[in-house]
Order: sequence, then C-alpha cells, then structure tokens
Amino acid sequence: MKKIFSVIQILALLVILLLIYGPLAKIGLLPSLPSLFRGGAPKIEDTPVIIQQVKNIAQMFTQTFYDEYVYDTGLIRTPLFTANKRLIFIAKGEVISGFDLSELNEKSIIRRDKSIVVKLPPARILDVVINPSGFETFIEVGEITFEESKKFHEDARRIFDRNAREKGILKNSAEQGRQMLEKFFRLLGFESVDIIIPESR
Amino acid sequence: MNADPQKKSRAIKRLLILAAVILALLAVNIAVPRRQARPLLSARTLKDLAELATVEYSVTKIVSYKNVAWYGDRKILFETAATVKAGIDLNELADQDIRLEDNKAVTVSLPQPRILLFNMKPEQMREIFNESGILRSDFSNEEKDGLLSQGEKDIRAKVATMDILQRAARNARILIESWLKKMGFTTVRVVFKEKGGRT
Repeated sequence: MKKIFSVIQILALLVILLLIYGPLAKIGLLPSLPSLFRGGAPKIEDTPVIIQQVKNIAQMFTQTFYDEYVYDTGLIRTPLFTANKRLIFIAKGEVISGFDLSELNEKSIIRRDKSIVVKLPPARILDVVINPSGFETFIEVGEITFEESKKFHEDARRIFDRNAREKGILKNSAEQGRQMLEKFFRLLGFESVDIIIPESR
Repeated sequence: MNADPQKKSRAIKRLLILAAVILALLAVNIAVPRRQARPLLSARTLKDLAELATVEYSVTKIVSYKNVAWYGDRKILFETAATVKAGIDLNELADQDIRLEDNKAVTVSLPQPRILLFNMKPEQMREIFNESGILRSDFSNEEKDGLLSQGEKDIRAKVATMDILQRAARNARILIESWLKKMGFTTVRVVFKEKGGRT
C-alpha cells in the first residue's frame, strides 16, 4: 500500500511539473514540449540544383501587385477519434502582369516615315508568385498533410490573382505598357506613335 | 495498530492536496493563451514596372532533412521546382542611352541583366518521404515551410552562379536588334552598360 502511495505521489509530482512547464512554454519563457522532441534547428542537406529547361522568352513586365492575405481554412471536421484540423497562415507575394511580346509578328509593327503603329497583344497576368518564404503559419491545429497544405497554398495564389484583377492590374498594365513604348519609340526619332492594345478579358 | 490508519489518512490527505494542485494548474494551463504575434498586414499596392524578361530557367532540387537520435529519427524529403526569369530593367534606360546616327542607324546601351522573377509554385512540389520515430514529433506545416524556404534560398544562390545572366543579355541583344530592324533601321548596335558606367 505504501509503495502504491509513493508511486502515485511521484506521478502526481511529475504531472505538476508538466503543468507548470505548460503555461511557461505558452508565454514563450521556455521552449514548447514538442520542440524538445524535434531536435535542433533544422538544416537541409546540400543537394544540387538541376536545370530542366532553358527557354528564350520575350515578356514585358509592366505592373506588379504586392499582396498579403490571411488564409483561414476554418475548422475542418474529421472522422470520430481524430482531432479536428485548422490552419491559418499569412501569404505574402506578388502578381506580375504585362505582355508576351513573342506573340508579335511582322504585321504587328507598321512604320511609315516618322510615324509608327504597334499592335500589342492584350495585357495579361504573367506570374503569381508566393514562394515558400512567403508563407507564415499562424495557427496550426491537428495534422495537416502536405497535400492539404499545398491545396490551401494554391487557393491563396488564386485569391492573389483575383485581388489583382479587382484592383485593375490589367488596365494599369496596358496603360504603363503604352507609355513605356511610346517613350521608347519617341527616343528612336518617331514623331507619331500609335500603340494599339486590345482590351484584356 | 493505530499508527497505520494514521499514516494512511496522512497519505490520502497528501494525495488530495496534490490532486487539488494538479486541478489548479490544469485550470491555469487552460486559461493561459498561447503567445501569438498579431499578423501585421500592409496595404495592397500596385506598382509600375518596365522590365523585359528574355530567358526562363526551370530548375529542380531535392530538399532533404534528417535528424538522427538514439530515441528515434525524423526524416523528410521533398521534390521541388522553380522558375527563374532574367532580363533587363528598362527603367534604367536613360534618354542618352539611345543614339540615333541617322534615320537608319541606332546604338542602344542596355543596363546589365538581372534576375527579375523567382517562382516556386506549390503545385510543382511533392513530399516524397516523411517519417518520424515513435518518440519524435511529426513534421508540422510550419517546419515543412521552413525547410522549403531553405531550399528556396539555396536555389536562388545556385541559380545566380549559373549562366542565366549571360543568356539573358544575349537574348536581349537579339530581341532588340530584331525589333529595331523590323522598324526599318538597317544598322543596329546593342551594347551593355558596365555596372555603374557604360561600355
């Protein structure tokens, strides 16, 4: 009986220690318990970077849209006996728009003496960039798989694209492209410059 | 004969006190909120650019991390890919960088090429292997992002040592020459300004 009591006492003391540790870790005075089982600061191994493809392009970037977005998956209910999930992260990145000049052909540039007419393709979104360093996890509850997190990241990219369009990136892009080329052609000695840009969809 | 029940009741009292302490601490644990920095969000901004991208590199890298310990290992492996675009910033082009010799000859001094865009798309990443020992914690989403960020940093550093800028310069020269010839210039000279000066 005495032995049982002393074992219970030791266990109780251990629980007390853990319960004292918990709030101190929560307020950041001590490292969190899971981090003690993770090991030191992770450092990836040195592996090569392999070139898969080199492509000649002709893209004119005329507008960038910087955005930050708080993405909340909401509570994801899981089957019985498994913890519910939730992920809140901050995504930081940019949307680049402009013109794909490789679409220009012989008929796109018409020169007559000191005047020039250039027909550009419509301005479009060329890239939506949110790199891994642009994601910051704010709250993570339950086990979020890599595939799930990838889907949320892809969704964040779609939101960036939508926000940029709503902000008028394509209209601004076309205007900036027009001004830029007009200046360039005037420097080349043209007195009359006409830049034709179809409206973006 | 009387000593035993006394000891027993003292032990029970002690256990009750410990239980009370545990309950109190449990309440503190629940009440103390996890320390979280408020996310700071800056305003969404549109900015004008004037950049001409002339080359695109598609690269891949295996991002691997291993932590071996007597109480269990943690190992993870990702396949990642990135797109890097390089070219010239036309904002650096000044009026004096375009010199007309007559109506048919022109010299253009372009700025030095640089990397304009780096993009690691999530859809091009794959988790190939992920294993943690029974006494080790699983890789959290935050940790995975941290490892991929290190991969991103490494790709950026390694791509910068490749011939991407030379190719960007060569393509920019070809592109500008062909456009100017289409516009009717018969003699086109494209040169690159030295860093901080001109050729």
